[in-house]
Amino acid sequence: MNRDRALLLGYLVAVVAASLVHDAWLLATGLVLVLASAGGRAGPLAWRVLRATGPYLAAVAAGWLGLAMLAGPGGSEGAAGPALARLALRVLLLAALAFRVLPAVSLARALSFSRTLRYVLVLAMSQLLAFRRLFGDFRLALTARTPRRVGPRTAVRHGAATAAWFLRRAEHDAGTLTQALEARGFFLDRD
Amino acid sequence: MIATERLTHDFDGCPSLAAIDLRLEAGQKVVLLGSNGCGKSTLLKLLAGVLQPVSGRVLYEGRCVHEGLRERAFRRRFRREVGLLFQQADAMLFNATVLEEIAFGPRQHGLADADERARAWAARVGLSNVLDRAPWTLSAGQRQLVGLASLLVLDPRLLLLDEPTAALDPRSSGWLVDFLQDLPQTLVVATHNLSLASELGRRCLVLGEDHTLIHDGDALAVGRDREVLLRANLVHRHRHRHRHEDGDADAGDPGKGPHEHSHFHTHDWE
Repeated sequence: MNRDRALLLGYLVAVVAASLVHDAWLLATGLVLVLASAGGRAGPLAWRVLRATGPYLAAVAAGWLGLAMLAGPGGSEGAAGPALARLALRVLLLAALAFRVLPAVSLARALSFSRTLRYVLVLAMSQLLAFRRLFGDFRLALTARTPRRVGPRTAVRHGAATAAWFLRRAEHDAGTLTQALEARGFFLDRD
Repeated sequence: MIATERLTHDFDGCPSLAAIDLRLEAGQKVVLLGSNGCGKSTLLKLLAGVLQPVSGRVLYEGRCVHEGLRERAFRRRFRREVGLLFQQADAMLFNATVLEEIAFGPRQHGLADADERARAWAARVGLSNVLDRAPWTLSAGQRQLVGLASLLVLDPRLLLLDEPTAALDPRSSGWLVDFLQDLPQTLVVATHNLSLASELGRRCLVLGEDHTLIHDGDALAVGRDREVLLRANLVHRHRHRHRHEDGDADAGDPGKGPHEHSHFHTHDWE
């Protein structure tokens, strides 16, 4: 087994483990271990994890607080505190694992044992790169059309329009990709 | 070789092709002209059997393609003999390296010399120096050529090319026009670039904006047929300025010096 495959396998095992563990202390220990494994890069890694998960965790916490306030002192939402803490720790741990391990893995080498998986990887990568380029264009277009930093309403409207466009584009691309695979004989032996 | 009978298609009720009848003989070089959205890509996809018609049928060597594709033997033969270059060539590329990409077809068809064939075709289209690179890291023009080599490596009998010059610079477009004319295959090349039409094929099919076939004949003659070009939305008129150096408009010399008027144009446009 090559190094990349071993790393990928280790990552997948860790993700499954992090999903099965329900003890907040164990999740916190896992998070500390992952951060510690980064050595001198622990600080930037922690900051990246917080930036990536912060909005999601804040939205979930705000929703929980809102429900607790609506339910009043006798409501059951007050008991959801530990569950919320577990959820936050699990999300932080999964994000830290992804940022710590995946950049070091060459997916092409890790999946080299399967031709089919490599096809899937290349298709996903080419779509991802094309979409990333287009997403950059969308942001630049907004910048070019706005003389100052956009407000939240415009940002949300632009985000929604961008998401809708990408959804339509993904659907169209999926259809074209299937036609191209068919035309090139990818499904020659299906019955 | 291949023919259509009342071939009709629509996308969610919006017509994209209306009752097309045509017949292509082996060895013909045919250019398919039409403005954006008239159904050129749809027609090529129907001929390649990757889209189902709403009504009508495509016949390959007398056999209905969409029925035949349900049988493995016909499918293998048809997929080897008919190649479709997509307008967006990226859709065709899914292998890790250019060499693997070009060799994919021969491997699918169980040809023993897949790598040798792939190297030879890569050399013919000028891709020898990028064989180990991932296709998605290449320029749009190079990716187009990878797609083309991936088809030619199977030595198909019929090549369907959708806007093959769209991603190419002028020098590469010129090279491709010559290259295609030297190929022995039957060719159908879709384009909306009127100036290339007579270079790409001697026979010209023109699709109108109503998605019908409005012309089937000599490619050179089409360029002079104002009525057909207008119906197909292949010419436009706009105001523009001319300068005649041998006169002086300020002196009231009509038709001399800078002046403005409008007339029909057949500009290249992308």
